[in-house]
Parts: sequence; structure tokens; C-alpha cells
Amino acid sequence: SMSARERIKAIQKMPETMKKKREISCLLRLIFSLSLSLSSLALQSYRRFRNSLSEYFHLLQLWQKTLKAIGGKFGTGVLSYFIFLKWLLTFNIFSFLINFSFITIPQFVAAKPNNLSFTGLEIFTGAGYFQETVLYYGFYTNTTIRKTENSASYNMQLAYIFTVGIYFVICLLSLVFSMAKSFRRNFINPQTYSGQASKLLCTWDFNITNEKAVKLKQKNLSTQIKEALFEVNREVLNFSFKERFVHFVIHLAAWVASLGTAVAACAGVYFLSINNLQLFMKGHKNDLEGQAAMLVLPIVASLLNAFIPFFYSWLGLLEHFQNPRHQIYVTVTRNIILKISIIGILCYYWLNIVSASESQCWETLVGQDIYRLVLVDFIFCLLGCLFGEFVRRIIGTTVCVNLGMPEFDIARNVLDLIYAQTLTWIGIFFSPLLPGIQMITFSIVFYVKKVSLMMNCQPPRKVWRAAQMTTLFIFLLFFPSLVGVLSVIAVTVWRLKPSKECGPFRGLSSIYAAISVWIEILKNYPGSKWVVWIYQNLFQGALFFFILSTILLIVTYLYWKIIEGRKSMVKLLRKHIVNVSLTCNFGFFVDCLILL
Amino acid sequence: MGNKQTIFTPELFYRYRDLAPQLVPLDYTAKPDVTLPYELIGSMPELKDNPFRQRIAEVFSEDGEGNMTLDDFLDMFSVMSEMAPRDLKAYYAFKIYDFNNDDYICKSDLEKTVNKLTRNELTPEEVNLACNKVIDEADLDNDGKLSLEDFQHMIVRAPDFLSTFHIRI
Repeated sequence: SMSARERIKAIQKMPETMKKKREISCLLRLIFSLSLSLSSLALQSYRRFRNSLSEYFHLLQLWQKTLKAIGGKFGTGVLSYFIFLKWLLTFNIFSFLINFSFITIPQFVAAKPNNLSFTGLEIFTGAGYFQETVLYYGFYTNTTIRKTENSASYNMQLAYIFTVGIYFVICLLSLVFSMAKSFRRNFINPQTYSGQASKLLCTWDFNITNEKAVKLKQKNLSTQIKEALFEVNREVLNFSFKERFVHFVIHLAAWVASLGTAVAACAGVYFLSINNLQLFMKGHKNDLEGQAAMLVLPIVASLLNAFIPFFYSWLGLLEHFQNPRHQIYVTVTRNIILKISIIGILCYYWLNIVSASESQCWETLVGQDIYRLVLVDFIFCLLGCLFGEFVRRIIGTTVCVNLGMPEFDIARNVLDLIYAQTLTWIGIFFSPLLPGIQMITFSIVFYVKKVSLMMNCQPPRKVWRAAQMTTLFIFLLFFPSLVGVLSVIAVTVWRLKPSKECGPFRGLSSIYAAISVWIEILKNYPGSKWVVWIYQNLFQGALFFFILSTILLIVTYLYWKIIEGRKSMVKLLRKHIVNVSLTCNFGFFVDCLILL
Repeated sequence: MGNKQTIFTPELFYRYRDLAPQLVPLDYTAKPDVTLPYELIGSMPELKDNPFRQRIAEVFSEDGEGNMTLDDFLDMFSVMSEMAPRDLKAYYAFKIYDFNNDDYICKSDLEKTVNKLTRNELTPEEVNLACNKVIDEADLDNDGKLSLEDFQHMIVRAPDFLSTFHIRI
């Protein structure tokens, strides 16, 4: 006996007309109405309520029209960038909402007056006036907030640590789930067709509704088919030993050059930041020169991020890859290495040097650094639209006509988003309202990119495997981005000593000590024994983590084995089918294969 | 990545009605017998530039000629929505490419498809070669044409199919 929901699902899956489906579902409802009980009635009204609720959300759903227009003109590949951007935006909105309601609003109750003057330049540097606002860690109180003497109290330390902690747990879970979903959908199948068949019958993008885009797509498809036919006639190239050696040397040199640039960029950023800190400690805090000096580091970081990728693309062209897809993958890998190592070196600087410096409040300094990085990155993104797309289009259509309109570079743009999101995640602890700022910048980026795309760009000529690349990007957001951020936060919480005179954790030996103190207090209340028990048995002992990671490893191993098994089974059956069908036609085996 | 677009029947109904407000009544409780001709359906902005628009309308219409009742219309957009299961999408994609309705995608169907995909830019010889290649690759039971099973098997390995066989309304 199926549940009503399963029944509806099963009917939905039938390739029948709406009329037939309605008849079937009517019949089934008649049969099942005999067993209709009170609980299913409640379920039904709940479902009706949920439907009307989601209808409201549908009205609120932002940008559906915009996404449709983009998909109609540029196809699924470019659309995947905007969907990714929208997804990150919801992450930030959620984070902003919980940080604002659980950390910032209580702080307003206990806020001290701000005596610093506001000059306007602070918007760029994030220093000065903002130092004494809810924007940064240092401003938050370490006391327990209560309105009157006997009213309920609010412990700022615990609120801070739990809000940030729970947010990261939710991020981790939602990333893992969407990664698993996307992976299951796109990669589990043993080998993807790269052949002609799927190119012809599965590639037409029904999203496209623009006449010009349709014509362009048809043109691209016919060139691709021609190329593919040409390749069939050509034998697989067999290189001699000498040629292979030359290729190897070229690839090696390109890797050395790209890694060398990354290392040089990191060294530059590192020395610049140390220099900056010294300048700051000397006391050029509030004059114009000091504030300008603060902006040098983020500008240099953004410059490196903006221009080294061009060098990498150029290297990729020089290398003459056999397969254009390899070129994309290698370029993406190099860019990721560059971006992650710049962030990595900055984290090292914040956690090892700034935290040990003699500044009054090192957490706020880190928060300001990240604020500036995020802001300058955003400005560079706008400049990139202006020069990379707008000016490039004018040059391409008037001065050098054979350049043509620029193409929208999906990979580079997505990597920029991942970089910005990583910065925000690191910054959440030091500047709880950073997600709010990132929320605003991402919405502006969405609109600017959309307008720039519609005005300046043409659809990419290459086939973009949207589904697989999306999986790759979610994976990159998970590792190294989120995993790296989590380890930075872990070091901050467990290892580092918070500043003595500012922030919610002042005076403690480590941030984590706040929880230990809380547990000690809880021990006195008999009603909360279970919290103490969970804490002592699960979080303090290493056994729990050991068991958890063992289970995880076992599950992963099992899944891997299942996939392996399926792969070999499919291969076997495939061979079998070919053999059998050579002698006689057995639809039965085909069914076997489909069943798998 | 949380971007499932749900379509609601009222919205689709208004889209249907907007095609011919003088023909379609607002009140559907009496189940009026209204059919909109293909010319109106094919001129919707979602379809008008799609090279397969006529086939799509034919496959989903009950009379097989592209003239659609409201039910047919709802059918079409629910299959083309993001929520439709893979097998359902595969079934209808197969029907769309099966121009002569013989339940197989044979060589003449493939030729038609290629010509629509490339706006007749390939020479007949190239079309022939490309079609042979498709049949070579995807025809598992060696009967010289693609059955629904062959087609589904191919779809499973083309992850982009789910997102491209989709019309945003």
C-alpha cells in the first residue's frame, strides 16, 4: 500500500496525458478514500497550507524573469554562473539574518556611545569610526545582558560562539548534501558519452528562446559536427619519443612558471602585510597617509588576482593541449592554487603575526583587513566589467573588428565568487556583519554582471558541460574553501588567546574556555545534566570523534565499492549485449541494462 | 543548488488564456471544449524560435497536429519543467525526435533532427556520416535504429540533458 504522496509521484512519472492521469488518480482516490482516516485529513490540510505558502514564496522569488532572460539568450552554461551567484547570496542572507538577530540586536541593548568622528574615508578603510561599531568583534561586550535586575539574561559569549558555530554546521551540511546530490546526478554513471550521439540528441538547449542565440547555437553545432567528423577520419596521433619529451618539458616549464608566480605573489603579499602592520603600530592611525597605506595591501591582492589569471590563460594557449577540456581544467587548477595560497598566506599572517602583536584588539584589525579585501575585490569586479567587457566590446566592434564581442568567461567568474565567499566566511568571526556587506555586493554584482552580459557579451562558443562543472565548483567551495575556513576558525577558537581589553571573550585564555566555564555553571542545575553529559562524553573524549570518522570512512568506502561494482557490471553486460545481439536480437538484455 | 522553479497551474492557465482571450473562458468549472490552433501555441515567446516547436506541439497535443487543449498545454509545460523526472523527460524527448511516430528513431528521423539542429548547413554527405555515427554508438541491439531503451541509456550518461531539456516559463 502506497502513501498518497507516493501515489501522486507514481502517477506523475507515467508518460500519459493529463486527462488519463486525472482519471487514474480519481480512481485511486476512490479506492483509498475508504481507508481515509483523521490523520490523513490533517496531512491534507497541512499540504494545502504548504502549497499556499510556497505560492507566496514563488511571488517573492527574486530574479526568475532575469534568469529566464539570461538562459534564453546565453544558454545553460552562463546561466549556471548566475544560479551559483544566487545560491551564494542566499547563504549570505541567511548568515546575516542570524548574526544580526542573535549577536547584533542584543549588543544594541548594551551599546556604549561612540566617540569617534566620521570622515567618509572610513567606508573604504573600514577603520576609524567603524572600529567602535557592531561591525567588528572588538565592540561586543563580554557581559551578560539583562534589561532589569531580575529579568532573563543573555550571555553574549555563548551567543557569539553558538551563532557562528551553528551557522558553519549548517553551511557544512548543506554543502555536503548539495555536493552529494549533484555528484550522484552527474558522476556516478560509469562513463559519460563524449561521442557524437549525445552531442546530437541531448545537446539542444531548450532554454534558449532568442532568435539570434538560436542561430548562433545552430552555427556552433554545425561546426562542432564538422570537426568531429573530421576527427573520426583522422587517426589518433602517435607522437614520437622526441615529440613527447618536448611536450613534457613545455608542460613542466609552464607548471614551474605558474607555481613560481604564485609563490612570488604570496611572498609579495606577506612582506607587504608585515610592513603594513609595522606602519600601523608606529601610530599613523588616523591621518590620511596611514589610511591610504592600509589600502595598499587589498589593492595589491586584487591586482594579483585580476592579472595573473591572464598570464595563466596565455600559458595554457602556449602549451597546445590535445584536448581543450584539459586546458580548462589545468587553468582552473592553477587559478585555484593562486587564490588559495594568497588567502592562506594572509591567514598565516593574521593568526601568527597579528594575533601575537601588541595591538589593542587584534581581532578587530583582522576584521578590518578582511573588510578592505572584500570591498576592494568588489570594486575590482565592477572595474573588470567596465574594462574587461564594456571597453573590450567597443574595441572589438570598432577598432579591431576581427576581435568581435567578448565571451563570458564562466570559469574565471565563478572562481572570483568562490574567493569572495571564502573571505566572507573567514571574516564572520572577526566581523559578524560582513555577510550583510557581502549580501549587498553580491546583489550589485548580479545586476551589473547581468547588464554587462546583455550589453557586451556573446554566448560562449565552446560546449560548456554545465552539470559537471557545477559539481566541480560546489566541490571547490567545499574543499579547499570551507574546509580551510573551518580550520582557521578552529585555530582561532582553540589555540589563540583573545585580546585582553576588547570583544566578548576578553580575559579568557582561549575562546573555547567560554564553553568550559558555562558547563561548570550548568553542573549546578539538575535540569541540565544531559547537556553536561553530552559535553563530557561526546565532545571532550576523543573516542566519539574516532568512532564518527571511522563510520564516515566506512560509508565512503562502501559507496566507492558499490560504484566500482556497478561499473564492472555495466561493462560486462554491455559486452554481453553486443555479443548476443550479433547473433540474435534479445531485447531482454537491454532491459537488464536499463534496470541497472 | 536550491533553484527548483515550481510552476503553478493558475499562472500557466493565464498564459494559455492570454494566447486567445476571446476563445478561452475564465471559468473552467464546466470543462468547456476549447482547443487553440498550433499557430497560436507556436507563437509563444518560449517556443517561437525553437527549431523543434512544431514537433513539441504535435507530441503533446491530443490530436497529434499541434492544436492544444488546456490539459495538453499543462502537460507540455509540466514535462518541460525542472520538476519532471528524468524518465518522463527522456520519453517525451524520444517522441519529439521520432518524427514519423514509428516508436523508433530511425535514420530519416536523425537526418531531420540534424538538419533542424544545424539549419541545413551541412552537406547531405556530412549529415549521412553524422547519423551513421550516432547509430553506431547508441544502437546497442544492432537493429539499425534507436529504440526508447537505447535512447534512455544514452540520456543516463548525458548529465546536461536534464537541465537543457527544460523550458523556463
